[in-house]
Amino acid sequence: MKEVNDVIREVLETHGRLPVPVEGLAVDDNLYDNGLSSHASVNVMLALEDAFDIEFPDALLRKGTFESITAIREALASIDVIAVPE
Amino acid sequence: MNVVIGIDVQPISEVEASIVEFGARYTRKLFTDHEIECCETNAGTSAAGLAARFAAKEAVLKILDTQESVPPWKTIEVHRTQTGKPEIVLSGEAAELAHSQGVEHLSLSISHGGGIAAAAVVAHISQCEVEAKR
Repeated sequence: MKEVNDVIREVLETHGRLPVPVEGLAVDDNLYDNGLSSHASVNVMLALEDAFDIEFPDALLRKGTFESITAIREALASIDVIAVPE
Repeated sequence: MNVVIGIDVQPISEVEASIVEFGARYTRKLFTDHEIECCETNAGTSAAGLAARFAAKEAVLKILDTQESVPPWKTIEVHRTQTGKPEIVLSGEAAELAHSQGVEHLSLSISHGGGIAAAAVVAHISQCEVEAKR
């Protein structure tokens, strides 16, 4: 079974349009500083919904939710997709 | 009175691709019912219109100080007046943030061409807020 961070990295790879290799990003690196556009973050959000079979609540539909792998992981934890953040 | 300008551009092709991949889920996440209605045409949803509205939301975010909190996309709405002119309507967190930062009025201009949608927003900031930041 894939780790949550691995799934997040896969989604960033396929939908983030990042100009840098996702594998080289630390979990706390700011994704916007590394080239994630606001619009691409929306695609990341929707692809995460597909990957985890969830729906982000309106309160999380904002740029800050997707500013780092850790932030995404915390957002997933807040809607009970994962039990405890690593 | 102080004047602050925000500007943003959005490639229309990226919006088209998102509509193709995610359909109505994409539009409902980002845009209000009014914004979606305004972009409906006989040929379907206008990606150019949605791209311009997304650029407008981003332009507003560039005016606001969002270091502590970034408001949700749908709390920044591009409203079309009866004369067809677009204007920014803030609600919820975006309205509260703008009020707390002395934003008194927002003017909007949107355009698209050559595959790019663009938006420029001019904000009038109250003098009290300007002096408070000095």
